[in-house]
Amino acid sequence: MFRYVRPRDLDEAVAALAAGGDSASLLAGGTDLLVSMRQGLVAPAVVIGIRGLPELNGIGPHGEDPLRIGAGIALTDLAEHPIIVARYPALAQAARSVGSRHVRNMATLGGNLRLPTRCWYTNQSENWRASRIPCWKTDGGLCHVIKTSTTCRAINSSDTAPALLALDARLEAVSVRGRREVALADFYNDDGVNHTTLASDEIITAVLLPAARVRTLFTKATARTGLDYGYGTLAAAVTGSNRAIRSARIVAGSVGSWPVLLAHAGAIIVERGLNESAIADAAAAAREDLGEVANLFSPPGYKKRLVRGLVLQVLEQLRRQKLPVD
Amino acid sequence: MAGRKGNFSVVGHSQPRLDGAEKLTGRATFTDDVVLPGMLHGKIVRSPLPRARILNIDTSAARRLPGVKAILTHADAPKVYVGIEQPLFRKDTVNYVGDEVAAVAALDEATATEAARLIRVDYEPLPAVLTMKAAQLPDAVQIHPKAKGNIAWAQNSDLGNVDDAFAASAHVRTDQYTTAASHNCYAEFHAVVADWSRPDKLSVWTPTQTALLFQKSIARALGLTDGAVRVMSLHTGGGFTGRSAARPHHFIAPLLSRQAGRPVKIRINGDEEFIVCRAGGEVQYRFRTGVSAGGLIRAFEADLSFDTGAYVESQMIVLTLTSSYIHSLYKLEAARYSGRLIHTNNIPYYFHHGGGIAQMAFGLGLHTDALAREIGLDPVEFQLRNAVTKGHTNMTGTFIGSCGLTECITKVTKKAGWKRKYGKLPPLKGIGIGVGAMASGAKGVFRHDTSAAFIKVQDDGTMSLIIGLPDMGQSSHTAMAIIAAEVLGVQPTDITVIAGDTDITPLDVGAFTQRGTFNTGNAVKAACLDARRQIEKTAAAKLGVKPARLVFRDRQIWPKGEPDKAMTFRQAVYDTLHSREGRFVMGRGFYNSPKETGTMAYSFGAQVAEVTVDPHTGIVTVDRVIAAHDVGRAINPRIVEGQIDGQIFSGMSQVLYEEMLLEDGQVMNPSRLDYKMPRSHEMPAVEHIIVESVDPFGPFGAKEVGEGPIVCTLPAIANAVANAIGAPVNDMPITPWQILRILGRSKPRDT
Amino acid sequence: MADRQFITLTVNGDRHRVPVAVQDTLVDVLRNRLGLMGTKRGCTSGACGVCTVQGDDGRAVLACLSLAVEWDGRALTTIEGVATPAGLHPVQQAFLEFGAVQCGACTPGLIMTAKALLDTNPNPDEADINEALAGALCRCTGHIKVKEAVRQAILRMAAATTEEPDGRTEG
Repeated sequence: MFRYVRPRDLDEAVAALAAGGDSASLLAGGTDLLVSMRQGLVAPAVVIGIRGLPELNGIGPHGEDPLRIGAGIALTDLAEHPIIVARYPALAQAARSVGSRHVRNMATLGGNLRLPTRCWYTNQSENWRASRIPCWKTDGGLCHVIKTSTTCRAINSSDTAPALLALDARLEAVSVRGRREVALADFYNDDGVNHTTLASDEIITAVLLPAARVRTLFTKATARTGLDYGYGTLAAAVTGSNRAIRSARIVAGSVGSWPVLLAHAGAIIVERGLNESAIADAAAAAREDLGEVANLFSPPGYKKRLVRGLVLQVLEQLRRQKLPVD
Repeated sequence: MAGRKGNFSVVGHSQPRLDGAEKLTGRATFTDDVVLPGMLHGKIVRSPLPRARILNIDTSAARRLPGVKAILTHADAPKVYVGIEQPLFRKDTVNYVGDEVAAVAALDEATATEAARLIRVDYEPLPAVLTMKAAQLPDAVQIHPKAKGNIAWAQNSDLGNVDDAFAASAHVRTDQYTTAASHNCYAEFHAVVADWSRPDKLSVWTPTQTALLFQKSIARALGLTDGAVRVMSLHTGGGFTGRSAARPHHFIAPLLSRQAGRPVKIRINGDEEFIVCRAGGEVQYRFRTGVSAGGLIRAFEADLSFDTGAYVESQMIVLTLTSSYIHSLYKLEAARYSGRLIHTNNIPYYFHHGGGIAQMAFGLGLHTDALAREIGLDPVEFQLRNAVTKGHTNMTGTFIGSCGLTECITKVTKKAGWKRKYGKLPPLKGIGIGVGAMASGAKGVFRHDTSAAFIKVQDDGTMSLIIGLPDMGQSSHTAMAIIAAEVLGVQPTDITVIAGDTDITPLDVGAFTQRGTFNTGNAVKAACLDARRQIEKTAAAKLGVKPARLVFRDRQIWPKGEPDKAMTFRQAVYDTLHSREGRFVMGRGFYNSPKETGTMAYSFGAQVAEVTVDPHTGIVTVDRVIAAHDVGRAINPRIVEGQIDGQIFSGMSQVLYEEMLLEDGQVMNPSRLDYKMPRSHEMPAVEHIIVESVDPFGPFGAKEVGEGPIVCTLPAIANAVANAIGAPVNDMPITPWQILRILGRSKPRDT
Repeated sequence: MADRQFITLTVNGDRHRVPVAVQDTLVDVLRNRLGLMGTKRGCTSGACGVCTVQGDDGRAVLACLSLAVEWDGRALTTIEGVATPAGLHPVQQAFLEFGAVQCGACTPGLIMTAKALLDTNPNPDEADINEALAGALCRCTGHIKVKEAVRQAILRMAAATTEEPDGRTEG
């Protein structure tokens, strides 16, 4: 069984995390951790309750960044925050699509960013896993999904991650060693096990959004609306006018071990602008950006077709969106 | 009581369900809420492999764990069988992932879980048979010696001169379909509490659709007489045909209890539920239909293969059900049925919502739709030309005493604007029709199909209605109270329905094959007529008229035409008891259909669905469903609507979402999260049309409504999707990837 | 045997001092320690909603994913705390009248979900209703009569709040 500690502030929290080493887990919303613990995927010796820590709250301008969002914000609050809804709709849409409202009342932004990757060979009960040989994720040496893979191919199903990656956000992380910032683009790894570059003694404290007059959109293809991980998600953020696009960041989520920046697709839009023919070519190029796709939760052929379709849908909607005003 | 037109005081008026307040305030007791003194918690040890030899079972570490009070393996129950060639615990081989090998009971769940983990079973994996195709290869592993070629059961029948009828047909078409393995996913997970601490009496608390069948199968398996087993069916959180038979845990809990000398609760958690429920396995269909030049069906041939999994208990019923289905819908000259249950090392097949018939209707609806188009007929016209009608006796010998099928089809297509829309919608929008029929009870389990009822009338004018029929949400208890209230001229709220204790409640085969309203309803009516006659005697003497002249209504009794002479119902009951005779009013009745086999009545229905297909994601949105259902007489119209709603949901769920994905015999998506069912947002707008054909044999003319609608929903939506994408679909569920694959293949549809 | 610690938990207005094990969830505490069986045990992984309770901020919370030790000093409402001696809550009454209850296994979760929605947003639109209900599985009703009942409850609760304090309605 585990020990539960409840730090009163961030200093106590990072100290407890450092002391716990690899066998401490942070408990914010609990909507993922408790399930993982029940399934025996993680068995921490110490559970550190960080829900409501004052340093993780708050949303507002912060120095040169137009917006700093405390990582402890409940996803319900994030989805409904007027500034987010008005200026970064993709983030509000992404937050709103996580789980159900029940889950969003409990789950936090920080928790969703760190969401462990999922795979139907591992996210099961212990009894279920007893039928299978251990894999990369469960201390074994193979992948059940792509048999030749030398790394874990479990899928990153965070919804806020692709939205924030499209927005070119940064994260703030704190440990006993101090505070650092990391671009979200450098935060994720294409690895189902070590899926982030966060050190085991670090806590994500905030998300920092850069200044930009940006048109953004997030969409999630799911079997049903609510309480579903996506078959695939797509987030896009463009700056500039349709004829003179300055930047186009298009990100696919829930299709690989990390959110995938569709670089070729984005380059086509920057080069040619946001018009019907460029959009069609970008959508076709997106398939190449995906690389090898795992047969998890839906067939790989579907995932590739889906991403293409989502790129078409999202870019077309962005094209018709008015330019943002300050 | 009033005649055909229906001038009823209670029947036909929407009533809130009698147990509603209890459920709404959290006071309704479900099996997991049962807590008994000294109660232990049980866990089952299951095979992780689809087929293996058991080399050794070592329970020693579990025995040493403090708090463990009972451990069972095959040696403790060698003679207990739950199915054909299926002992309760496996001794030599395990035959599917989930097969029961051992069980423990301990002071709390955590200890029981730990004890189960400590039981060490050594297996030698054996080659497993995981598909029907593999099972039927000549050199396939024989899963059970007696099931040659892995065929567990087969049923073949020829009615009429099949080959001649095909030869004489102007047009013949053949189609093949599959439906996937699925799961009922009720809101209440399986649970059972058993108390066998008294050697002479075993008490079992469980959700169930049939306390009687549970009682009998538990008694038989454990070597007890029926009377030594008391089954208490508390509130049942959904049945959907999946709770019509006892499961291994219903036998394991009693045995653990006997060994420990204390009550034992087993509660099935999480992924284990997907093994225990065992709803539908994969089914493959081939339909061949021959029609005349005018589009009338002459011959029909169905060939069905069911992946019945590792064992057979009562699944052979599905062959009977699917073999007779075509005759409930259409008039035809000849029919051939070939069906078989095929053993594999997958989870044993059991019923999903729709009982095998709705799943068959998926393909049947697509097939008849395609056939109609091939011969240049509007699909609706095809259905109208072939639909059965009142007065027809079909090839299985069933007389159709009431039939609203044509009326349903006509009304639903008119409301949907079928003629305006069919063939004229833009690409990716579709409209489709599905028709269906459902037997209101049918003989086949026993020689009888009896329901019985008692009614006990108190001298304050209230009464207890004592029946054996469980209520799993379909509101059967309220319907029975309405029938009783109508006969006795009182209000349903004057009646307390007592059900669900085999020590007290009378015989009732149960709430499946949609027999509740029809059979138990008739029994209740008979019991109340018996009670009424007793009261009539008193009232007739008091009012000075012959008993036959008395009207019972609005809690009063008066001679017909003379309401000013009324006396209260309560007074009449009081006088009956407080008399020299001192007669306590008690009525009894039973109903057993006079037929040898088959059903007394079918309900009928037709639905039209409209869908939109997203070409980028392949996701289908059901925009609208209009449902017409002939229920004979709507005892409680709001409940009928609710049944239609729920079955449209369930049908839509099966057509577009549900699929139990099996790999190496293991369920890959054993959770409410990954096994997909839609939620609130996906539900279309639904419009109801209730048709009342007033069956001559049903209570107040009522027929079933518990599964008729869903049979229509599957083909309606399937046809709408095929219409939207302008291409055939053959596999259920119609997944987004199936849609994208088809769209990628086919040419753009001509509008 | 796990060590026990005590928490103070207010449930439906009643303050309890309860011994809990560190791994106990609110479902364990409510059902096994306080004997409040109305909150149901379902999938225990957050996907079905039958364990829904209402937190101190009025929002719907999943009891199966809430560690009891995190609720020390806090308050919540369960299904047992919804009706009053005066009668059913408007949401419950509407469910009853509109036929939104069938088997009843999901009903406590749905009632708590609907109540939490209306307590935090008295005038939700169709999308808000669908969004709130998405977290609660109902296998029997297809959600249609559930939504009809919720819409009716919205009207009735709004009408109730326009009454004068002494019970007279406005206008």
